[in-house]
Amino acid sequence: MLKCLLKRKRTHYYLQKGENQLDKAEIIGLFQKVAENPGWQARQWKEERKGKIIGFLLTDVPEELIHAAGFLPYGICGGQNRLDSAIAHLQNWACSYVRSSLALALERKLDFLDGLIIPQPCDTTRMVLGIWQHASPLPFLQNFRLPRQVNRPSAREYLIGELAQLKEQLEIYRGARISNEELRNSIKLYNNNRSLLRKLYLIHEQNPEILSTKVLYTLIKGSMLMPREKVNELLTKLLKALEGETSPSGNDHIRLIISGTILEPFELLDYLDEGGGVIVGDDLQNGFRYIEGDVKEDVDPLEALADRQLNRIPFAGYDLERNPRRFFLSKMAVQKKARGVIFLHLKHCEPENYDYYDNAQALEKAGIPSIRIETEFGITSLGQILTRIQAFLELLGGK
Amino acid sequence: MTKRKTFKTAAYMKELMAKYYQEGKEAREKGIPVVWITAVAPVEIIYAAGLFPYYPENFGALAAARKVADKLSMAAEARGYAQDLCGYARCGIGDAYAEEHPVGEIVKPDLLFCCNTQCGSLSKWFEVASRFYNAPYFLLDSPQIGPEFDKLSKQYFLAQLKELISFLEEFTGKPFDYDRLKEVLRLSKEACRLWNEILDTAMLKPAPFGFFDASFHMAPIVTWRGTEEAVNYYRALKEEVDERIKEGITAIPEERYKVYFDHIPLWPKLRWFSDFFAEHHALVAVSQYTHSWAYSFDLDRPLESLAENYMGEFVNRCFDYRVQLKINFMKKYNCDGFVLFSNRSCKPNAFGLYDKRNIISKLTGLPGVVFEADMSDLRFFSESQVRAELEPFFEQLKSR
Ligand code: SF4
Ligand code: SF4
Repeated sequence: MLKCLLKRKRTHYYLQKGENQLDKAEIIGLFQKVAENPGWQARQWKEERKGKIIGFLLTDVPEELIHAAGFLPYGICGGQNRLDSAIAHLQNWACSYVRSSLALALERKLDFLDGLIIPQPCDTTRMVLGIWQHASPLPFLQNFRLPRQVNRPSAREYLIGELAQLKEQLEIYRGARISNEELRNSIKLYNNNRSLLRKLYLIHEQNPEILSTKVLYTLIKGSMLMPREKVNELLTKLLKALEGETSPSGNDHIRLIISGTILEPFELLDYLDEGGGVIVGDDLQNGFRYIEGDVKEDVDPLEALADRQLNRIPFAGYDLERNPRRFFLSKMAVQKKARGVIFLHLKHCEPENYDYYDNAQALEKAGIPSIRIETEFGITSLGQILTRIQAFLELLGGK
Repeated sequence: MTKRKTFKTAAYMKELMAKYYQEGKEAREKGIPVVWITAVAPVEIIYAAGLFPYYPENFGALAAARKVADKLSMAAEARGYAQDLCGYARCGIGDAYAEEHPVGEIVKPDLLFCCNTQCGSLSKWFEVASRFYNAPYFLLDSPQIGPEFDKLSKQYFLAQLKELISFLEEFTGKPFDYDRLKEVLRLSKEACRLWNEILDTAMLKPAPFGFFDASFHMAPIVTWRGTEEAVNYYRALKEEVDERIKEGITAIPEERYKVYFDHIPLWPKLRWFSDFFAEHHALVAVSQYTHSWAYSFDLDRPLESLAENYMGEFVNRCFDYRVQLKINFMKKYNCDGFVLFSNRSCKPNAFGLYDKRNIISKLTGLPGVVFEADMSDLRFFSESQVRAELEPFFEQLKSR
């Protein structure tokens, strides 16, 4: 198994060879190392480039704008820290993603950040900026106030305005304007990244033996933590290395969809892999929702960024009367011939919770079994969750 | 329990609220569509369009006050709605599914109108309800604003008010009546002015009226705002408060301290809290919550004025603005300390309170405390815990 291979190689892959000669296992190993030490590459970049790093909470922030300003966008993915340090600032019934991210900052594990942009899909993110400002001040701290209704003309106009405002703030911080050319280049770079990750997603779907669930999501996560130019190079190489192996798997995998905000904990994916699961679709902030849909390159860049945002996979944070997410989910499940859907919910995530019943009902109507698993950053024992996942896989006809 | 002279207007209010619920029930029979609306939303537009506004939050508060919030909530919880969602929303969603209706059934909507100035819970709840009741839904989106009003958000809000008006025109099949809007705004403004004047009497020492009285008398400013009824009611209440001032009747016996309270009262424990504070000779004098409905409209700029008032409401403001607002209230009412309620139901108001307490104390030198509970669900309330959290605060007040 690939996993065993990685375990053996992980410790010495990087030091011995230059990055140019990395093979498949080594590239994957590099992403895994980044996922385990999220600040590693960012710190290195900062030291080499003497540049500024702007963090963001997942994932409705236009990274292209940050990148175009010459800063390194860094996705704060939460951590397995104990969250104790956050308790003096934020009640423990706030979602653990925000609590653990704040805890990382308080524990100085994000000390390489010069700035932070917080999108506002929910009340928790709406309130956390002020707390952050006082508890862990940063030179560049901004809210990104997304429209919460997305299907009337006013939403688009406002979002373009808000993007322009964010761009202006970045320009002030940078001390120079962001040219259209710079922005177009960044858009291209990010489009390229999304397209590479989508290709890898498809390879996983067709043959999880050569690209496991765990590895797939690690590649997506790692992309948020490294300079995107480097990510794209590595992913291009990886795709090339996989070329010879891309024949469809002969095995009968359990085709699954994951629905939720943020995928956590990653350990859970090992069990999906071992239980014979393959992820054929998801709507996660750090999953398919992150890589789906490109930004148009031939129109006004801010309008293009706005249009991508408004047309992303529906998410509970943005209100749409008829809850298109449930249709999206059941349609995807049918199209992708999924055998089941796993709702992976972060405890205390309000938007997700409000939509859950409707989403589950829609799947039931479509005849697709689902299970709801509640997780938290910083939990120590996965035992119960795993038992439930195993039972679900067995129910769906696993091995 | 402390003895108190009850307000004569209390009976008037009960009558008025009964009339409100009755009108809600009869509206549809009379062919007047029922519009679900949120408490901090430009209801004036709904009245001007000839529709009946119904406040499901008020239903939630009523269920809470009658101590049945947990029962209603369970019907929602059985469907996967978590215990830590807003109690009002759980009651509303629960009532949709519940077989028993201990506070009467919620009035079903023909249309839903939510302004998310307050929170994201209302918009999700209304969304769920719009599907459940199969009624159209309009969300008036209100981006959070910083210390200063920004042009972009205001334009966005105004553009949406226009979208709302077109939406209502299509729904009613009638052109929107701007003259009627002006008249409704005038009534709204007058009721708000009276309400504000009544709240301000808590500045007197001793005061005839405090936060717990305001919590009791606020239902009409929320539900009847924009009508003659609200104006008449608050005129009567103002008269009674003035009489009390003349007669020397005070809100609590022996008022020694004034306290600022944030934010919503614990509805099922209103009486318990008011007695508890009174026992310690502390008058809860002011809260940004009850002041939410102290709007002031400019009749010559109706839509802009609606945008400024509803968008600019404290619940839609940033951290530092809210800190300053609380401090301003404390100064204006000459408070000796402050109590902040970390309300499990209400993330947008609870998150940040720990830091706010420290910052406010540092800036004002006043003692302050944060306590934990839920505004409606007694499963999250422990009398001994709240006592333990608040007693040291009362000690601090005494030693000042
Ligand atoms: S996980 Fe949910 S509650 Fe937490 S920040 Fe994201 S949307 Fe908000
Ligand atoms: S109590 Fe808080 S969360 Fe609930 S409706 Fe009111 S503002 Fe929203």
